[in-house]
Amino acid sequence: MSSGRLSLERLNPLTTLTAAAAVAVITTAAGNRLFSAAVFAGLLLLAARQARAASILGSSAAILLPFWTALLLMHGLFFPEGRVVLLEFGPAAVTREGLLFALDAGLRTGVFVLAFLLFSFTVRVPELVAVLSARGMPPRLGFAAASALTLLPAAGERLRRIRAAQEARGLVVGRSLPSRLLAARLQAVPLVLSLVHESGERAQALDARGFSAPGPRSALLAVRDSFRQRTARLLLIASAVAAVAGRVVFALTGGPQ
Amino acid sequence: MNGTVLAAHVESFRFHDADAPALHDVTVSVPAGSLTAVLGGSGSGKSTLARLLAAWLPGHHGGTLRGRLDLGAAAFEFSGTGDDPRIDPGAWAAHVAYVPQDAAAVLSTIKDTVAGELAFGLENQGIPPEEMRLRISETARLTGIEGLLERDPATLSGGELRRVAIACAVIGRPAVLLADEPLGSLDPEGARAVEDLLRRLPGEGSSVVVFSSTADSLCRAASHWTVIGGGQPGGAAYDGGRQLAVGTPGELLAGNALARSGVVVPDIAVPEGVPAAAAARTAVVHTAAPLLELRDVCFSYGAGTVDVLRGVDLAVRPGEVVAVTGPNGSGKSTLLRQLNGLLRPSGGEVLLRGRPTEDTAAGLLAADVGLLFQDPRFQLFERTLEREVAFGLGDCRRFGRRTRDGTARERARAALAAVGLEGQAGGHPLELPASARRLLALATVIAREPAVLALDEPTVSLDRPGLDMLDRAIAAATKRGAAVVMVTHELRYAEARAHRVLRLDGGVLEAAD
Amino acid sequence: MTSPSPQQSSLLLPDAPKRRRLLEFLGAASIIATYVVLVLTQPADIAAGPGSLAALAAMGGFLLGAVLLVVAVLPTLPTSTVVLIPIAMVLNIVLGQFVGSTLVPFYLDAIGTVLVAVLAGPAAGAATGALSSLVWSLFNPTVLPFAAGAALIGWLAGVAARAGVFRRFYLVPFAGFLAGILGGVVSAPIAAFVFGGTSGLATGAIVSAFRAMGDSLLAAITKQALISDPADKAIVFTVAALLVYALPRRTSFQFPFVRRHRVLAGKGAADGAPAPKA
Repeated sequence: MSSGRLSLERLNPLTTLTAAAAVAVITTAAGNRLFSAAVFAGLLLLAARQARAASILGSSAAILLPFWTALLLMHGLFFPEGRVVLLEFGPAAVTREGLLFALDAGLRTGVFVLAFLLFSFTVRVPELVAVLSARGMPPRLGFAAASALTLLPAAGERLRRIRAAQEARGLVVGRSLPSRLLAARLQAVPLVLSLVHESGERAQALDARGFSAPGPRSALLAVRDSFRQRTARLLLIASAVAAVAGRVVFALTGGPQ
Repeated sequence: MNGTVLAAHVESFRFHDADAPALHDVTVSVPAGSLTAVLGGSGSGKSTLARLLAAWLPGHHGGTLRGRLDLGAAAFEFSGTGDDPRIDPGAWAAHVAYVPQDAAAVLSTIKDTVAGELAFGLENQGIPPEEMRLRISETARLTGIEGLLERDPATLSGGELRRVAIACAVIGRPAVLLADEPLGSLDPEGARAVEDLLRRLPGEGSSVVVFSSTADSLCRAASHWTVIGGGQPGGAAYDGGRQLAVGTPGELLAGNALARSGVVVPDIAVPEGVPAAAAARTAVVHTAAPLLELRDVCFSYGAGTVDVLRGVDLAVRPGEVVAVTGPNGSGKSTLLRQLNGLLRPSGGEVLLRGRPTEDTAAGLLAADVGLLFQDPRFQLFERTLEREVAFGLGDCRRFGRRTRDGTARERARAALAAVGLEGQAGGHPLELPASARRLLALATVIAREPAVLALDEPTVSLDRPGLDMLDRAIAAATKRGAAVVMVTHELRYAEARAHRVLRLDGGVLEAAD
Repeated sequence: MTSPSPQQSSLLLPDAPKRRRLLEFLGAASIIATYVVLVLTQPADIAAGPGSLAALAAMGGFLLGAVLLVVAVLPTLPTSTVVLIPIAMVLNIVLGQFVGSTLVPFYLDAIGTVLVAVLAGPAAGAATGALSSLVWSLFNPTVLPFAAGAALIGWLAGVAARAGVFRRFYLVPFAGFLAGILGGVVSAPIAAFVFGGTSGLATGAIVSAFRAMGDSLLAAITKQALISDPADKAIVFTVAALLVYALPRRTSFQFPFVRRHRVLAGKGAADGAPAPKA
């Protein structure tokens, strides 16, 4: 974010990942309503400028809207710690503290979700894997993550094929709950069967290609990096650490929690 | 020919869960710079042999091996105990590379380009990027995949995938390449490209061993054949595959070892098969009303995409066998899916016994139209052969209780017997060899006795007994008045078996000349 | 173009990698310590807003523990288990959505994790649970802090499998129920301190009910978790068991854990096949 360019896809994956984590940590440590709101607005603007703005904002809304609704109902209506009662009906009481608590928690989660979705929707996964293994993460970690992302759409396609094969043999899926549960069972078993069966073969092929070999790895893919990005990452980490340290000192000296 | 690079003697090999060995008494030796073949029918243990040679099985979680492997000067004895040598598959593959039947299994699934996929093995060895790039372009040139390097591996066709898998194997410069059914389930164009590549490799320094159930032109080019075979797994006399004969192609084609092994010998099988097919062709009553009719059917996979079918007319009468040929991607499989309602025409209509089918669910049409899919992996989903065939038989609203349904069970057993798999009713579909798996898929179709059989590439991956079973199933179906629509790229087979051969090209169906 | 003639010794496997006990221990310790600290020091008065320190501690401690566990366990697993992990993640997501769309009050997001734990043991299960959360967080960042809870479920499922629970089908839901209790208790502080509540409307309603009775936020969320998690995990364990029983024997027996601990002995008897050797 400090680089001044608005398209995050051109940045090193480590830079965007560090930025997302730092933003989440600093906002949480600050624990300030106005600061959270400003960061959230900034992230929204940044998201809107990305090539995949619609997906980022759509996914964020799908996660945040139900969450915000639940928060509002939970704390807006029932907040026994609340003192300033605004409205009261039966066991429920709308309190000022409850509403503010919902607002604070909602903003914090909003920043968290938006920052990380900005990262995941602008990262190219093979680059992330290459960068992480070059930084000493076990190559298997990158494999597990990247392979899951490849298999996910393939598994959806396979479910459709299994269903087609079953319809070709007389399966009629109705709209009722038992009918859909039955269809789920009928299709889940073959999906698992074929995925696990193939994994045995893949394991041996991976071993034959040196997947378990000890020793250093190299990477075909050169991920772009720059002095500015390296500096930005160091600054981001330093500010996150400083924010946490400040919060701890505050707590020890009796400042606000 | 300067000496042997790889030699193996398999006294016996048994899978962990099996009572009988899968393979015994086989000796193989691979001369340097040679093209040799191991031939065997379905279930002969040739894939098991390939995996043993590739060190995918011994000393691992696969099973128990007694025997010996020699690679150059290195020799390994296996006695089937815990003290057996544990071979490092990565180090072994640097010398002996293996391309399995299912080429997709060798993909790492973590690379988004073919070039990245080729680099995977090199990256694991820590080879510097400049050298990697050099090796990639060199291997791509050798295997003819220069044009594919930037493609996403998930989008490759069968033939392209097989060549990429071979490229991934030879980029490590192995002394031996083991190719399991390298031409299996490929269209003619893809098969030709793979065959050219495999015939070229010995000259580049890698010996090639082809494992195949068909004595095709690739195997005919081999200098030496090993024929292995045994009884059907699950059959009474089954004791695993063993060596039946060794020799040059000329010697073995003259003898009778191939006939005993279940290997398909194309040039011999078809002339032999013609009289049988003539008998299978029932007389078609041309005045009978069509069983199934397509009227001006158009189809596209979504608005804005090219029409796959453009005004297809087709009428099939009882007892008739219609074959549809055509180049890759001409919409042959799409056409078959129109017949049973898995895909619905965007224009025109499909009529079954004169009635439009547009309002009938695919699951209900299944009673009348049985579809054999091209890839049986997506057609089989149950845990035993019997349950597989019984799926959907009987009352379609009570899937949960199907195996307790007596008549459904009877029909399932009869269908399994019709394809010669009755001895394995309790076995697992995914553990069947390729040919038997295809026959099982066929059994699931004929068990319902549908009025129309729609067969997508029915001959692919069948061995000779399998082809006989297919002929018999088609004959039995037409005899009871069913119609057969098959899609195949084997023109000779189509001409021998069908009453009419049609050609689908550019979405238009016309009589083949 | 061929490589030089091989040496006998270079073709043999080196000894199995040592387990990184220290990292494993640190990972588990980090998770336990975080939980204890959170429960002991939970802010008595939340009226001033959601506490930042508790949130940072919950997020950092649990995430650090999960990552340490993954880094400790992954290099020691055989490749046949490593390739199962992405499949488990896919199943967690696909089956979770697929079944979850018909059964609203449950998450059912751990079916794949439990499946791997049964086939490959507690360590693999824990790594799968944690990794699955890390990957899923690419689509939904709110699951990221729950990685430790998911690892715990995977570990417990593996322990249950090793103890032979999956040999008797009727024991499976009970094991799931117990695992759900522990998992729920560990995950509750995350929901309370990081997010200030639960994300679902149904779970939110239950929390509200306890809050109306005057419970603290952590107590209310823990009680809610004790209502939904055990039932959820009982279903998850049962579904995973059914899936494992449906696997071909050659497939399930390629996993040394299954062979060594006779995880599925009951199945052999049911099929009429000879019992596998111990």
